[in-house]
Amino acid sequence: MLFPEPGTASGVQWAWLAPALSASAFFAVVLLGRFIPRNRAFLSILAIAAGFGVFWYVLKEFLSSGGGEFSVKWFTVGDITVSWGIVVDELSVVMLGLVTFVALAVQVYSLGYMKGEARFGWYFAVHSLFAAAMLTVVLTDNFLLLYMAWELVGVCSYLLIGFWYERRSAAEAAKKAFITTRIGDVGLLIGIIMLFKATGGHFDYSTIVHVAEEGGIASGTLTVAMLLIFLGAMGKSAQFPLHVWLPDAMEGPAPVSALIHAATMVVAGVYLVARLFPLFLLAPTALLVVAIIGLITALLTASMALVMTDLKRVLAYSTISHLGFMMLALGSGGFTAGMFHLLTHAFAKALLFLGAGSIAHGSGKTDIREMGGLWRRMPVTAVAFGIGVLALGGIPPLSGFFSKDEVLVAVLSGRGPVFFVLTLAAALMSAMYMARLLFLVVLGNLKKENEHAHESPWVMKLPLVALAILALTAGFLAPGWTSDYKGFGAFLFHEEPEAYHINGLVMGLSLALAFGGFALGWALYSRGLLSADRIRERFAWLHRLLVNKYYIDALYQWVINRIVLVLGRFIALFDRVVINDTGVNGTGRSVLLSGIRLRYLETGKVYNYALGMVVGVVVVALIWWLGLPNV
Amino acid sequence: MNYLLFLPELALAALAFGVLVIDLFLPRERKGYLPWVSLVGLAGVLALSLRYLWGKDTNLYGGLFLVDSFSLFFKAFFLVMGGLVVLSSMEYVKRHLSHPGEYYGILLLSILAMMLMTSSGELLTAYISLELLSFSLYVLVSFARGDPKSNEAGLKYILLGAFASALLLYGISHVYGMLGTTGFTEISAALLLEETPLNPAVLLGLALIVAGLGFKMAAAPFHMWAPDVYEGAPTPVTAYLAVGVKAAVFALVLRLFSQAFMPAIEEWQVILAILAALTMTVGNLVAIAQSNIKRMLAYSSIGQVGYLLMGVAALSPMASDGVMLHLLGYGISNLAAFLGVILYYNVTGKENIADYAGLADRSPFLAMAMSVALFSLAGLPFFAGFTTKFYLFTAAAEGGFLWLVGLAITNSLISLYYYLIVIKQMYMVPASDKSALKVSLIGGGVLGVLVLGIFLVGVYPAPLVDAIQGATGAILP
Repeated sequence: MLFPEPGTASGVQWAWLAPALSASAFFAVVLLGRFIPRNRAFLSILAIAAGFGVFWYVLKEFLSSGGGEFSVKWFTVGDITVSWGIVVDELSVVMLGLVTFVALAVQVYSLGYMKGEARFGWYFAVHSLFAAAMLTVVLTDNFLLLYMAWELVGVCSYLLIGFWYERRSAAEAAKKAFITTRIGDVGLLIGIIMLFKATGGHFDYSTIVHVAEEGGIASGTLTVAMLLIFLGAMGKSAQFPLHVWLPDAMEGPAPVSALIHAATMVVAGVYLVARLFPLFLLAPTALLVVAIIGLITALLTASMALVMTDLKRVLAYSTISHLGFMMLALGSGGFTAGMFHLLTHAFAKALLFLGAGSIAHGSGKTDIREMGGLWRRMPVTAVAFGIGVLALGGIPPLSGFFSKDEVLVAVLSGRGPVFFVLTLAAALMSAMYMARLLFLVVLGNLKKENEHAHESPWVMKLPLVALAILALTAGFLAPGWTSDYKGFGAFLFHEEPEAYHINGLVMGLSLALAFGGFALGWALYSRGLLSADRIRERFAWLHRLLVNKYYIDALYQWVINRIVLVLGRFIALFDRVVINDTGVNGTGRSVLLSGIRLRYLETGKVYNYALGMVVGVVVVALIWWLGLPNV
Repeated sequence: MNYLLFLPELALAALAFGVLVIDLFLPRERKGYLPWVSLVGLAGVLALSLRYLWGKDTNLYGGLFLVDSFSLFFKAFFLVMGGLVVLSSMEYVKRHLSHPGEYYGILLLSILAMMLMTSSGELLTAYISLELLSFSLYVLVSFARGDPKSNEAGLKYILLGAFASALLLYGISHVYGMLGTTGFTEISAALLLEETPLNPAVLLGLALIVAGLGFKMAAAPFHMWAPDVYEGAPTPVTAYLAVGVKAAVFALVLRLFSQAFMPAIEEWQVILAILAALTMTVGNLVAIAQSNIKRMLAYSSIGQVGYLLMGVAALSPMASDGVMLHLLGYGISNLAAFLGVILYYNVTGKENIADYAGLADRSPFLAMAMSVALFSLAGLPFFAGFTTKFYLFTAAAEGGFLWLVGLAITNSLISLYYYLIVIKQMYMVPASDKSALKVSLIGGGVLGVLVLGIFLVGVYPAPLVDAIQGATGAILP
């Protein structure tokens, strides 16, 4: 039962209220919007704030009396029962808190950022729908509901990226994002169906995990199914080679990028891998693929982030790179490391995106080469942005330092030195592009054309400050400080406690890289000790390769133009002539004609009707008498 | 004998006559009380039924009258549905019909007839209840005395209805003549003793019974009265014919074929399947060519009869569940659609599909509610129609009628076409008269409740399925 039984103390079941509230807000605004006076945004914000309240209540109940799975039967067909259900455990509670908090911050921020926008109410309605779908992804206990919510998340992302659909590039980006993630989703669906068949008709995680652990699924089947499911995760989490949509998705409003393309939707893939971690452990090959894909993604996109000039695009590539770190950590068996990095990255990256939005709002600039010295004009934004930069760059004691360190430890112990060295390289680049942002955007001299830049209103500053505080301090969750609190890892990884590791070598290297990266950045972009231009000229081919995103987008475009569209045109012709004109319209026309002809049987004369009945009786009796046809 | 088990029927009869008597003493301007009296009465009868019949499994009058969870399920269904029809009729009766006392009194009598029908345990009781139902309906159909269409409908209905009753009665006499009994369980026992192939006289009796009942449920080729009658009758009566009467006949058919004719299932299964195929195809094809919305809905409900008949042909506990579930899902969807037609007619006096142009601008609520109802009738997911159809079709497929299920799915696709025509009119075609439509509060409220019901059954049918499985257990253990 979803409702607490009388007499049981635990109230964690009420977690379902969080998505339900946001969904209600969506329907209220869309259906009854015209009856709600003035500003409809407050409904959405109220719903998500209540959802955040639900999180605290659930957390309290969870800590005192533990979690569990709760479901109500949805429908039964034959032997298959499908239910609406939620699972409340450490993983989903953490995600519940993260999603509700970031969504709340972003919605409040949007009040200022989207002010005066046409379709203001629609924007908030879709935000609510997104929150509902995302919370369902996080809370559900079965694959069927997951898949539905997963697709709904994709739809909301489409609607929000293309919010300014009058702009062609925004519409194109929305389409690209939707189609690219859909490619992964096909894999997800097939994987789900494979597991469904292999377990004899079950969708719920716990049964599938149970059957798999008992050895009820052939290991080949399990590996293929997990790889297909991972394909879905790759699409949503923008992993190589399905990463191309995320940078383009920056066409959406900045708060959308912060919520969906940094903190929540894109981590859905990571969350899915974490949620199915027991299954991945049973399919080591699939887990290795997760690690390899994560590593490639982290390296490839970090290098691209070094050369991009649009602020939000730098952040986008950095997001993909960090998602790669998370996948890499999970693929190396570092469950805690992956989830912890997810958490700290979400705060820092949401902060950076909101900061970027605030900068664009205050100065009207999006190209980092035209920025600089903004701390003089917008101090709150600049300080918050700087904190985000340092956190992600891995400077202690900010949150990113702790989680990146954890990831490195996990990679070293799980996958060995080769992976470790490559991960270090990605981490170095990560520090460098963050340093680039710090020196080019926040510090330095104020450019003349930016004299007019101004600080954003308080509704935008408030979320920035809240996120900045979290980005500063979230790292301290990791170590176990007292005997009661064993650290984030022990909380999350409840089965075999995986505490916060400190490996002197790793920490030393990580520190050296972070500071080295920032020092290099300082030398390059601030002091001019090394000339960025010289390097660019010297390695022109490399620069070209990076600026052109390794030609991956071009390759895809070529395949689409030369193969998919040509094939598509041929199929379209076939469809038009054979399917449409003959098959569909042909049958449609004949159905219509038979309807019109049959109508004449209806004469309106009573004796005709009676005759029809008599004929009917006689025919029925004759069939019976002469023998039944065999149908 | 425990008369408490018969109390709901007695109370309903008293209520019907009570309404007629109260009507005599009410001044003209207070006639508006009558529907409220009926409503309170129906609620009381529902309470009595639930209080005294819950969990009982017994019979009265030596097996003539059965009290079980199957009949209780349908009684509750009829009483609730009756209440909804009374609510839907209120404004229509006030505006377009005279003699509200007789209208509500006869409506209540027909509900009594349906309750008796689901409880009857032998053929003659069933026949008499069916006649009580039919006679009430003859009057109700021709209730718009000044409207020639309504008179024509009533006349056609009574002539053909009498003919169908004769066929049914003749069939019953054959069965009685050959098997020596009219009791359902006794027929079943006698059929078990008969050698196969069955005596042609028994088969003729069966054929006549199928024809008689086929007329009442409007199965092809006994359906031809339905479009004329549906179009001519006052719209609330049409809704009642399409939802209530159909459910009552199917309740009787389910009980008759599972409790009496089950041993001969090999004999009648194929016939019913053929009738089902014919009915769904004719209903859906001809619906396409209609321009009057009541007539279109009439044909669409003939199509739905085809699906339901398919469930009876594949009779099994699961199929019986499917039939009952779909009766309910189809019932609320159709009631909502007809209520939309009534509300629109009350304000504009129009009932052609073309008249619905631009309704979305004039009354977004009405257009939305009607779209939900039509989508549900077409069987789109998240609406009641999808869930119930899915259950019914699955059951028929499990019963071995895969070809028929394929045909039914094709027909569902066809039906989407003519439902979409209405939706297109409402949303895409601009209105000639752009003034806002004011929907009455009660009508709008009931419609809202029905729409919520459609979604509820669509996404969370589990409690309903549990109740239905309990009801089926009483006739198909």
